[in-house]
Amino acid sequence: MTALGEHQRLRASRRGSLRKRDDKAAFLFLLPWFAGLLLITAGPIAASLVLGFTDYNLIQPPEFNGLENFERMLTDERLHAALGVTFTYVFVSVPLQLICALGLALLLDRGLRGLSFYRSVFYLPSLLGSSVAIAVLWRQIFGAEGMVNQVLALVGVQGRGWISDPDSALSTLIVLNVWTFGAPMVIFLAGLRQIPVMYYEAASVDGASRWTQLWRITLPLLSPIIFFNLVLQIIHAFQSFTQAFVVSGGSGGPSDSTLFYTLYLYQRGFNNFDMGYASALAWLLLVIIAGFTAVNFWAAKRWVFYDD
Amino acid sequence: MRYGSTRRSALALAASLAAATVLSACGGSGGDANQELSKDPVTLRFTWWGSDARHQRTQQVIELFQKAHPNITVKGEFKEWNGYWDSLATTVAANDAPDIIQMDELYLASYAERGALLDLGTASKHLKTGDFDANALGTGKVDNKQYALPVGLTVYSIIANTDLLAKFNIAVPDDATWTWNDLKSVGAQVSKASGGKVSGVQSLGFDIGGVNIFARQAGASLYDDKGNVSIPPQVLTNYWQYILDLAKEGAAPAASVSVERASAGLDQSGTATNTAAFGNWWNTQVTALTKASGGNLKLLKLPGEAQSAAPAAYYKPSMFWTISSRSKHPAEAALFVDFLANNQEAADILLTDRGVPANNKIRTAILPKLTATDKAAGEYLDTVKVSPPPRVTPNGASGVESILKRYTEQVLFGRITPQQAAEKFIAELQKEIDNA
Repeated sequence: MTALGEHQRLRASRRGSLRKRDDKAAFLFLLPWFAGLLLITAGPIAASLVLGFTDYNLIQPPEFNGLENFERMLTDERLHAALGVTFTYVFVSVPLQLICALGLALLLDRGLRGLSFYRSVFYLPSLLGSSVAIAVLWRQIFGAEGMVNQVLALVGVQGRGWISDPDSALSTLIVLNVWTFGAPMVIFLAGLRQIPVMYYEAASVDGASRWTQLWRITLPLLSPIIFFNLVLQIIHAFQSFTQAFVVSGGSGGPSDSTLFYTLYLYQRGFNNFDMGYASALAWLLLVIIAGFTAVNFWAAKRWVFYDD
Repeated sequence: MRYGSTRRSALALAASLAAATVLSACGGSGGDANQELSKDPVTLRFTWWGSDARHQRTQQVIELFQKAHPNITVKGEFKEWNGYWDSLATTVAANDAPDIIQMDELYLASYAERGALLDLGTASKHLKTGDFDANALGTGKVDNKQYALPVGLTVYSIIANTDLLAKFNIAVPDDATWTWNDLKSVGAQVSKASGGKVSGVQSLGFDIGGVNIFARQAGASLYDDKGNVSIPPQVLTNYWQYILDLAKEGAAPAASVSVERASAGLDQSGTATNTAAFGNWWNTQVTALTKASGGNLKLLKLPGEAQSAAPAAYYKPSMFWTISSRSKHPAEAALFVDFLANNQEAADILLTDRGVPANNKIRTAILPKLTATDKAAGEYLDTVKVSPPPRVTPNGASGVESILKRYTEQVLFGRITPQQAAEKFIAELQKEIDNA
């Protein structure tokens, strides 16, 4: 025992000192990131909190105006319009996107031949989805003389200017977001691989149908992954900016139908020289996102199942 | 590069610099604009918006200036219209504004009243304005100080595609007497004759020039002298009712087509693509439009002018030269602006790219060198009857065109009535002015 014990003690202590050295190296490597975090992120975040309580037109020094910016939010009709657009976008596009992602993940998980090929094909849009190029492309596809209308014309349907009509403009952006289901799909696929095959074998032996297996085994065991994707995609959707900016040419139009919250914030700050109010808006968005995330975590206790 | 990250870093930068501005209060300027020119090397930064052709011409003028003044280097920073204003706002906030700034009427008061621009009257030693018309110079004044020097002049006009009219056997209307209703009916005729392939009139409602014309023909103005919104709701109601009627009676295309074209820019417009016979434009745009359409375009006087008590048309400065109030080299910056505004060689390169020159001497001198369409624009400018220009857009109202556009969209899509739009537009614009 003594020799063995000694050996173990030595190994443990060597691991300990190694860990200490590793820690130092790790911190050293992280230093640039920390510096960036403090200077480029944390500093401005603090500054924007201060600016949220000021009247600041970007040219003259800011002046404190107490809670005026927040009072203004109550009667700001365009802000209310922006909130309406953003909530619609989040609550329609995120569930649709996750359903598509989960559905395809389940299909691909059945051991399709050429799985990695399909995985790449479906994943690709989520790499491109928030890029300017795709937003420009979207403008073309859904324009009055775009691809969608040309296809519709072939079957004798008269299309419309999808992006220039306030009734359909937001839908095209929702479709764009749903189309980027690849990222959550890949996470779902990884999650599905974690579910032990023996559960399904046991269920089959007991005569459970595929459907029952999905509801009783797959979904409960996958629920932490679903939850993870849900939280991530909701936060992501609330912060959407590029698509609306490019598709509407920065206006949030037609008739404010694509006025995302971040786009309105940007307009106030940079087009209307209203940076104090824009900073206050940024903090409201933070509170809204934090609120939804908290509700999500609270609700998760009721439906997320951890298998450990 | 994704847009998101640049936006975030721009926001971050602005915020941190804001904090820095609070600490350092106001940065001092480099001294008197009338002081002697420096013999040491001086670097000036010069920013403008525009097309590729403009960038090339401007770069040539910069080289010409540097040859004449070897100790001065001018660095050009150019962008397209939308990005230009975002970036100007942030650089000014960061106390890092370019020395010479190409400025638009919409933003002039917003920058001047906040102290970001140099009073050019204090630079009279290096910057001469003697060859400019007094009326034109007046457009660059804010609070009676000459903050900006007009570069070129434009006049609001109707541009007609005479090829299309000939094709459908429709006579060019007599623009000495015509009314807005005449425009609407001849437009409807064109739409009908073409079987819907060509629309008669390109929809109004997307630029503030048309609003000014409607207001002035009704004896009113968009803003009063103090810079408050003064347009009567009835005038705006008539304006939007007219736009609605254009679409309803088939003279203008369907709402979604109008909205799409308006947001796509000049090259995608009805006039440029030969899909509209009449369009409302600033007269100097005829050159670019002719190039894009390849057809014969003719400048017509505005409808309703014959019936109006005084002409509603006015000389609008296409843009201005301004100097940052924080410039470290105001004297050299003034010298460069003088070169841009008064130098014959520079004018020979720039021609009418920034509008028909507001400098009378230069305008006469370059006339023989102009292309046919530029000449037509110049002649139009000289013959059209004008009244004194409207007040400069007040501080806070620089977003007026996007507000206008939004209500036009709502009216065209039947979301609100012209009367509701008029009331909401006035209230919202006034609120922006009050907030500034």
